[in-house]
Amino acid sequence: MGGTGNEYRLLMPLIPALLIVPVLALAGFESVEVAFLIVLAPLVSFPIILISGQLYNGNKTWKHSLKEGGVIALSALLVSLTTASWIVIDYIRGAREITKDASGRTAASWWDWISFDVLLSDYSLSSERVIGVGVWIDSVTLMLLFVATFLCFLICWFSLGYMNTDPINENRNHRFYAEFVLFAMGMFGMVLADNFLWLFIFWEIMGLCSYLLIGFYFWKESAAYAAKKAFLTTRVGDVFLMVGLLILYDIYGSLEFSVIFEDPSIGGTVDSDKLFWALIMLFIGAVGKSAQFPLHVWLPDAMEGPTPVSALIHAATMVNAGLYLVARMVPFVDIGGNGVAGLDDLGLIVAYIGGITAFMAASIAFVQNDIKKVLAYSTMSQLAYIFTGLGVSLWFYNHGKTDAATLVFGGSMFHLFNHAMAKGMLFMASGSVIHEVHHAHDHLHEGDDGHDHHDFDPQDMRNMGGLASKMPVTSAAMLIGSMSIIGIPLIGGFWSKEAIVAKTWKASLDYEPLMMGPAILVLLTAGMTGFYMSRMWLMTFAGEPKHQVIEHVHESTPWIKEPLLILSVISALGGFGLSVLGIVKWLAKPYNYDLGINEQSVIEQVIYELEHAFLPDDPNLRIVGWTTIFLSLVIGPIFAARVHGGGLADGQRANPLISWIATLSGKFGSQDVTEMSQSSLSEALQNRLYFDHYYELALSKTVIPLAALAAWFDKRVVDGIIRRVESNSVLGSVQIRRITTGRASDYILMAAIGALSIFALAWGVSG
Amino acid sequence: MALPHMLPENASEQVKRISRNICMGVALALLAISTWAAATSFSDLAWKSLDFGDFELKNSPVSLIPQIGVSWHVGADALSLPMIWLTALVVPLSMLVEWDAKKGHYFHPLLLVMEGAMIGVFVSLDLFVFYVFWEMTLIPMFFLILVWGGEDRRYAAMKFFIYTFTASVLMLIGILVMYFNTGSSLSERTFDMLVMLESGDSMTEGLRHLVWFLLLIGFATKMPSVPVHTWLPDAHVQAPTAGSMILAGVMLKMGAYGFLRVAVTAFPGSTVVFTPLLVALGMASLAYGAWVCMGQSNLKRMVAYSSVSHMGLIFLGIATMQPLGIAGALFMMFAHGIISPLLFAVAGAFKHHYHTLEIGSMRGIAHHSPWLAGHMMLGWMASLGLPLMAGFVAEVAVLIAFWMTFGWWVMVPALTLIITAVYYLTSMQRTIFESNDPHEGQMPDTLHHEPRDITWHENAGMIILGALTILFGILPFFFWDMMSHWSTEVMTDLLTEAMQSEGVRP
Repeated sequence: MGGTGNEYRLLMPLIPALLIVPVLALAGFESVEVAFLIVLAPLVSFPIILISGQLYNGNKTWKHSLKEGGVIALSALLVSLTTASWIVIDYIRGAREITKDASGRTAASWWDWISFDVLLSDYSLSSERVIGVGVWIDSVTLMLLFVATFLCFLICWFSLGYMNTDPINENRNHRFYAEFVLFAMGMFGMVLADNFLWLFIFWEIMGLCSYLLIGFYFWKESAAYAAKKAFLTTRVGDVFLMVGLLILYDIYGSLEFSVIFEDPSIGGTVDSDKLFWALIMLFIGAVGKSAQFPLHVWLPDAMEGPTPVSALIHAATMVNAGLYLVARMVPFVDIGGNGVAGLDDLGLIVAYIGGITAFMAASIAFVQNDIKKVLAYSTMSQLAYIFTGLGVSLWFYNHGKTDAATLVFGGSMFHLFNHAMAKGMLFMASGSVIHEVHHAHDHLHEGDDGHDHHDFDPQDMRNMGGLASKMPVTSAAMLIGSMSIIGIPLIGGFWSKEAIVAKTWKASLDYEPLMMGPAILVLLTAGMTGFYMSRMWLMTFAGEPKHQVIEHVHESTPWIKEPLLILSVISALGGFGLSVLGIVKWLAKPYNYDLGINEQSVIEQVIYELEHAFLPDDPNLRIVGWTTIFLSLVIGPIFAARVHGGGLADGQRANPLISWIATLSGKFGSQDVTEMSQSSLSEALQNRLYFDHYYELALSKTVIPLAALAAWFDKRVVDGIIRRVESNSVLGSVQIRRITTGRASDYILMAAIGALSIFALAWGVSG
Repeated sequence: MALPHMLPENASEQVKRISRNICMGVALALLAISTWAAATSFSDLAWKSLDFGDFELKNSPVSLIPQIGVSWHVGADALSLPMIWLTALVVPLSMLVEWDAKKGHYFHPLLLVMEGAMIGVFVSLDLFVFYVFWEMTLIPMFFLILVWGGEDRRYAAMKFFIYTFTASVLMLIGILVMYFNTGSSLSERTFDMLVMLESGDSMTEGLRHLVWFLLLIGFATKMPSVPVHTWLPDAHVQAPTAGSMILAGVMLKMGAYGFLRVAVTAFPGSTVVFTPLLVALGMASLAYGAWVCMGQSNLKRMVAYSSVSHMGLIFLGIATMQPLGIAGALFMMFAHGIISPLLFAVAGAFKHHYHTLEIGSMRGIAHHSPWLAGHMMLGWMASLGLPLMAGFVAEVAVLIAFWMTFGWWVMVPALTLIITAVYYLTSMQRTIFESNDPHEGQMPDTLHHEPRDITWHENAGMIILGALTILFGILPFFFWDMMSHWSTEVMTDLLTEAMQSEGVRP
């Protein structure tokens, strides 16, 4: 299975894809005009990959040169990536051809989907209304669009190595790549959509792809079950989301962003209760999609899918859809603009759901031994951070505190960026670990009859340990990713997480005591994140190998290292770099009224950012900031080190930058947690706080018996009555005997007689 | 419109092949004609100025039975044209799917007879002829079930026949009452629809409601709506695949078509008064149908009940008294007409290749029949209302209109969408997935040969249906525009007036 350098010649087909954008640019097109390419490229490649895969399955060229469709998928995603980058660059440069409205948004319409009239309450018909499809571009769109296209491309690249070298996937990969590009289409479309309905449409397409890809190993009972669970749980949210759309449509007579955001208060006449319920319904949809309490149960099970799927859909892109939707709620509550006052409860609810989920998910992550499950709970917890931030921002907006609101909004969006980059990379790194451990295990047991196969779980961290010396790139990438998630000062996620925690505290201390709940929860979660992420890294990479398989692990699969390296750099430096460039304010640009974009020099800006992060003016925030740093940098990791830390085994060498940490982790002594791990709290955490259990119990006690009852009722009662009537009536029995002769002439005669007698009867009735 | 081919029982292979080619040829010719008719109408802006009653394509009446005022009067408008196109589409596809049917030289002509009768229903502008065609559809379907059906076909055929016949007899009484109100003497009376639909004006209110009710019973049984739906599952389970495809795809739509064409148009006042009844029937069909679906273990039975459930949306759409809702109902008829044949083709393929329809008697079929599994996935997803497929367009239109009129009651249909997803996903999980073996599925006991995938002609039929489902989901405006205009015209002319006089606010 050894990788060879000349695998990269397979990238030749990518060159035309790379050329499309320059050619279009030279031909005089404008970037927004060709935005449809972002969606179209993956949409077109979907049937091509699926059908060619079905037809040429097993064909040599298809398998080795086209990687069972992987290369086609990669080309399509490259087209999307280049087009998206073109738009981003154009937008940032402020190119003339991008026409913007006052708040820096661009919209273009593609086609009319349905058009209709509405009967108004004075019995007159409205003028024709249209639900169309188009693009809507502002800085939030662009950020997500870039994240989505970039990560789709990198993860597709990663999949070429990960999926195609696993014999179990042989002749099945075309299905993977086809569903992958379909998903990409859904994600790009959702981000670009210019109205809530099309946002919802693409949102559902993503749900479908999530279902299909979780169930990629469809023959596994657990995978089929997890796929169904994911689809149905998100479906619950989606149905509420749809009801929210219906209410919004009723209020505004349109679902277009450009119409609704123009004046969400309709000159102050809007019924704020109705709007509140509409937004709550939308939020329930977001909760389902982003796996927040209480609709979070599907995400951990979703890890049944192949690891690239977990990286893409369940960490970096799809789960952000809910956040994006909540971010789109800002104009409704922004009383500095045209928003509606009195919606501050919405902000509180969002913040509370976020706080609760963050804490709950982090605590469950404490006891997970499956490397992907830890990351799944971590995803949930980090998304919850962003929800908290957005909730606080909605609250601020609704109270006219626009400056604070803008900062925490931008911070939340920035956290989304940092988290997507880091978590996408962490999942890919975990995939790398799983893949190599699995291979090593297969290699070790090549001669066996394979009965041992099922006992060994390549995802279980209890089988790992000491991998730092075997997998230098992966362990470094994982370390940087973990540091970004934990929020180690100066690295990636620190910059954005700091903003969320600080602003939540500011809201609770200065304005709204009820915000104290989320504020405390997110602060505690910061420390807990430090613990479980360090625990994961230490269990996997530090200490001595816990299974003989580890001795045989090599980091040798092609296509896997490049994405890890690229994302490591972005995770490590991106947070600081982009902060300095003023991304927080840039992201909040659509909803930003007075904050100027930075005009200081870079040095001034660096100093400003550092000062802002470590020594804010407000003494309370200074305390909060340093507590966060203390919890996440010191308390969490040290506890993790006491339980799971340890130097590498003798004679094992690793990159000095990494082995230093492994060695240090062995210095804190070791703490025996056997007793703690047998406590009922630990048991409850291991059972995911029994949510799944009780949900299933409730469903099996209600839905299944009720369905059986309905079926029985239909068969015995509704149909039973008919049968009784039928068998008792003389007419019926005569007809039955006649018809069983099976001759059409008999029947036609009877029908004629029947018709005539009815004719006579009706004459009588009307006469 | 269609000629049955009477051939001897022991016809040679050659003759059989020629026979089915002729049938397909006729069916395709009809498809071409109706596509042409539809396509010229797409581009014809006259739709916008369409007045109700002013049919686009129609002949001048030719008297058939002048004594009682029956004439050959046919035409098509925005209500019937999509249905005609649908009929012309589904019939050749059902032939294609059952290209190798036993006794094909009888089978395929029967399908053509079906097609003729159904198109007859949709084009008739004379209620007598309408009723004759309406009953004529029963005969070929009766024989399709009786001759090519499953084990219990005799019972199913009879039940199908007697049930729907009884209901349409009630409808006939309604039609006749209308007829006797078109004039005071025999020579004045006429069955011409355009005249008869005005006849409601000369009736007392009670009689109007009575006739409306009789018509409702006839049409609701055909749709079918709870509680008169139980003929459908039996008929479907026993019917051959092509029969099921036509039954679900087109015949059920006759009910909704007739209801809109006759009952709503002639008695807008009664329709407005009995809106709560329509809502109740619609909700019952939708929610109860979905619950019953979940309790089924037979794949075809489940799909049949899902038709009942989806047809409920049509009543809900009409009950909204909004152009959007009525257009949604029309689009539902059309979308369900493409999706449900796909569902039944898939179910039929299970019966054909695995010899069972029991959900749970097999697992991991996707290993052996990837095409079948793919079509199942597409069809099931389309039917549970996934966006970018035709069903979603109708669903979202009906629901938007439903909220406008009934507010929070929309939670009932909305939550039913979850139940729909539950039974569809569960049935997939228990047939094509979950074999616990990366290479082999678990075969049902009824399978005595190597598992295989669907044949080329089944595959072709399903691909066409699937592609159309997606096409009309992304670009619904081909038929949506004319439906929307039709419903707007109906609203302006008829229902608004009725609502005003009944004091019902939109």
